[in-house]
Amino acid sequence: MRWGVLDAVFIPPPSAVVRALGWTAADALPRLGDTLVKTLLGYVLAVGVGVPAGLVLGSRPIAHAVAMPYVVALYGIPKILILPWIALIFGIGFSTAALSAAVFAIFPVVVLVAAGTRDVDPNMVTVAVSMGASRAQVGRKVLLPAVLPSVVTAMRVAMVFALLGALLAEMLAGNRGMGFQMQRMALAFRAPELFAATAIVSVLSISAVLFLEHLNRRLGRWR
Amino acid sequence: MKIWLWRALVLLAALVLWEAAARMLNPILYVGPSRLPAALGRVLATRDLPPLADHVWLTLAEIAAAYALAVAGGLWVGFLLGLRKTLGRIYEPLLAALYAVPSVVWYPSLMLFFGLGPASKIAFGVLLGFFPVTLAVLAGIRQVPATLITVAESMGAGSWTVFRKVMLPAMASTMVGGLRTGLALSVVGVLVGELLGARAGLGYVINYAYGLMMTAEYAALVVLVAAAVLLLDGAGSLFEARGKRGGG
Repeated sequence: MRWGVLDAVFIPPPSAVVRALGWTAADALPRLGDTLVKTLLGYVLAVGVGVPAGLVLGSRPIAHAVAMPYVVALYGIPKILILPWIALIFGIGFSTAALSAAVFAIFPVVVLVAAGTRDVDPNMVTVAVSMGASRAQVGRKVLLPAVLPSVVTAMRVAMVFALLGALLAEMLAGNRGMGFQMQRMALAFRAPELFAATAIVSVLSISAVLFLEHLNRRLGRWR
Repeated sequence: MKIWLWRALVLLAALVLWEAAARMLNPILYVGPSRLPAALGRVLATRDLPPLADHVWLTLAEIAAAYALAVAGGLWVGFLLGLRKTLGRIYEPLLAALYAVPSVVWYPSLMLFFGLGPASKIAFGVLLGFFPVTLAVLAGIRQVPATLITVAESMGAGSWTVFRKVMLPAMASTMVGGLRTGLALSVVGVLVGELLGARAGLGYVINYAYGLMMTAEYAALVVLVAAAVLLLDGAGSLFEARGKRGGG
């Protein structure tokens, strides 16, 4: 790298990236916080709406048969197509990015939770009821543990999708946050800073996923 | 039959709600379905937009190039990591970690390397399509029952025969699923790239309409592209179903 094999304008040597990391971090932390708040708001929205929707769709066969094709179709459509419209209505800034995070994250949540709920063995419920379990007991002792793994998986997947949605909205129509910053540095040919910002976001995302996976294992032991 | 009726009703209700909401709200921002056909006509007549056909072809060519490269790279890396166990143990966690990063993080860097032309869109399409193909190959290889390979080898099959007659059929269904996901993501990658900054292509036209506040045309284009994507994915699912039957 140093010896001019690659053009340093486009691919900076790691030493330059490390140096850039120093001065980028100070500038990046508030931006990162900004992006994170949007991501978390969208994430909470997506999980809060998506998990109940998935539970309903998964536990009612007719609702599943009627609505699931639409959910899958919406999941398959590239969400970036409607981002400009969201930006048009909600303006450039916070709500657009948060909503975008929610829109990106909600469909995988619904699909995963619905699939997990549908796979609950109905015999377990029958057995519990025949042994005299009340509705509340069936819910707490049978259904909850059976559904929980798919909910946790959905929560892990949703995290990446929410961050993706927030970053994408910032790149497309933002004036703050990490996505905006990265896009600006790319257009300004500031490769070391861009690489540093990319590294920061990647590490953040990987740690979030690792944390949720750790949580998943803890819950697994609890069951 | 009844299910189909309910599905049609849900769709109809959604359209009616959409139309009603759009009529009540600002017509510049909210476009009801009733205004879409006319807007679609305007888009196709290309009076106020760049000629559509060239942009569609460019986007299709970008998708084809991205998908071809993603499949080639994905199969190669997948088989390399899956069949060389040591390499697999070293690099698979890395692959999984990269998968946990929102892909759009890489786009600005790709834009920096490849510029605003088609190359950066193809590169992003490759990047997105590459992962599901690679991961599907790896999952498929793990799925092949070891006893089958042992039996085939003990009967004197060479490694190529084992690969072709035992491994490929056993992993076909998983691999076809990965190929389908890869196609969907390659399409997304190219579209995202075009929307984030391009001088040509479908995403550029969508951005152009949106930039000029031609909301009806923008909505018509979005519906058109979304329908095309769903159609492509539907074709992919037919292919997947055939692959699953063939693979047994």
